[in-house]
Amino acid sequence: MSIEPLAPPKKPKRLPVLPQRGKLSMFEIALFVACLVLIAVELSQNLRDVMVLTFLFAGLGLAWNIAGGYAGLISFGHAAFFGIGAYTSTILFVSAGLTPWIGLWCGGVLAAAAGALLALICARLRGPFFILSTLAAAEVVRIGALNWSSLTGGPEGLSILPVANVANMVFVSKTAYAVLMLAYVVFVYAITKALEGSRYGYYLFAVRDDEEAASAAGVNPLLVRTAAMGLSAFLTGIGGSLFAQYFLYLDPTFVISPELSFQFALLPAVGGLGTAIGPVLGSFLITPLSELLRSYLGNAAAGLHLVIYSAGLIVVMLYFPGGLAAALNRLGRGWKRKP
Amino acid sequence: MTTLGQLVISGILIGGIYALMSIGLTLIFGVLRIVNFAHGEFLMLAMYGAWAVTTLLGFNPYVAVLAIVPAMFLFGGIVYRIIISPGLDKPHLVVVFATMGLSIFLQNVALMMMTADLWDVPPIFSHAVIVGALRFKAELLLGFLITILCTVGLQWVIRATYLGKAIRATVQDGEAAMLMGIPVPRIFLITFAGGSALVGLAACVMMPLFSVFPTVGLNFVLIAFVVVVLGGMGSIEGALIGGICIGVVQSLSSYYVAPAFGQMFFFILFLLVMIFRPNGILGQKGAATIGIND
Repeated sequence: MSIEPLAPPKKPKRLPVLPQRGKLSMFEIALFVACLVLIAVELSQNLRDVMVLTFLFAGLGLAWNIAGGYAGLISFGHAAFFGIGAYTSTILFVSAGLTPWIGLWCGGVLAAAAGALLALICARLRGPFFILSTLAAAEVVRIGALNWSSLTGGPEGLSILPVANVANMVFVSKTAYAVLMLAYVVFVYAITKALEGSRYGYYLFAVRDDEEAASAAGVNPLLVRTAAMGLSAFLTGIGGSLFAQYFLYLDPTFVISPELSFQFALLPAVGGLGTAIGPVLGSFLITPLSELLRSYLGNAAAGLHLVIYSAGLIVVMLYFPGGLAAALNRLGRGWKRKP
Repeated sequence: MTTLGQLVISGILIGGIYALMSIGLTLIFGVLRIVNFAHGEFLMLAMYGAWAVTTLLGFNPYVAVLAIVPAMFLFGGIVYRIIISPGLDKPHLVVVFATMGLSIFLQNVALMMMTADLWDVPPIFSHAVIVGALRFKAELLLGFLITILCTVGLQWVIRATYLGKAIRATVQDGEAAMLMGIPVPRIFLITFAGGSALVGLAACVMMPLFSVFPTVGLNFVLIAFVVVVLGGMGSIEGALIGGICIGVVQSLSSYYVAPAFGQMFFFILFLLVMIFRPNGILGQKGAATIGIND
């Protein structure tokens, strides 16, 4: 993944068909319209639930991708930021009565601080050492949350009273949640798109691809890395708050589990690391697949859906390392070549 | 004083077990420069194997070594051929995600076949070993001795045999080794399979001490990562020292602080090591900061 040479500015006549770095494309607009149509269409409660989760995880995958895909900071500890966001807004809401509409920003800021701290702690580490440190850091947060019962409710968890009210960010209809989650995806997507076209985005790619060269060119790798991790953690924390408002229940064993961290990383990995559309495609493919497999096969054979899912992951990683985004591009190029 | 002595000795013994299950991981890392995220699931699989041999065929778990170690060697070889080898020339991430996929795959295959129930084997020895005022489980003592033997044996293989020489040459400079006629891909295969076989040995030693269930690997793999990083990735003596450190830290902190915090302490220890001595106690200089295999 090299940096594209800076082409002389051309006036685009119309929008590109396929996603490009830093530009809006027809594909993205069509996908957004399709999501709106899906929300508007009458669906069963079960499918609505799948849709809400798909949007939420698309946003979380995008947030992970800023650190993992763009900055090359492969973190298996993002569940910690997710948990910090979820617990912050919930604790503020349950014990201080602060509306989650404000609480979620507080959770995001706390998560960002934790993310920046982790990036500073791991400043010198690369490759597997960085991955394992993020995993360990998330475990410290999980065990901490499990044992600090007075704040987090410990293993019994925390519940939010299901009083449906816009001010409480609790809704009766799943459609409202779907709109909320779609807004989250659009928010994170817009930030990602703005990032990848900006000067700071190029700093990220430079630090990821060749740190020494980037450093020689006047980019401060530590600063760039810390900011990327902070931004990624901030957006993940907001996702955590939204998750809490949807499920209305939190416990450390699920919210801060390593499995959840792996899932955040898998969606961009399957979709295409370091592309904005990748995590979205990853979530749109994998989340419904795993949810539907779970609901159809779940009772018959526990774990079968994950067997299929993980076998698919291995094949994608080994034979299509660019993920779905690269496949989409290849498809587009092949289609263009035909007259 | 007796309590302290008892705690330290128990910590050292359990640390030996931790070291045994980490040696395979450190060996594979040292030679192939990859982290096998499915290491814990290899252990889980081998523990199920040891359980089956013990319960269904009625052998002692220590006798099961004869069946489990070759089986895990074969299994490691197959995994290397199918998953590791195609990913070695691709970006570092590919192997990370492929082994993680394998980990989820094995966990859930186990869940489907064996359910989430806990299985264990009856204790082998009815009496604890008593030395003065100290008492410890004979299984732990035996496990510790096996670890020491294994470490010494592996060191001998690496220092004194032709295979060991080839492995060391591959570690020093893979391309030069290839030019000297060393079949590097076969060395990789043997190392990966050998590392898996060591996990098989660890599983047989651990079976009388721990229950087996589909996600047992996750608990142990986190410990193994800490042990390996603490000792210095790729260092076999380091794994032994790291294992003992973790065992003692866990044993003391769960007695003096709280059992729940025992785990937290060694993760904090891990992070401290990463901040202040990222190459571990006996690791190679610069390993952590170069980001090997990038």
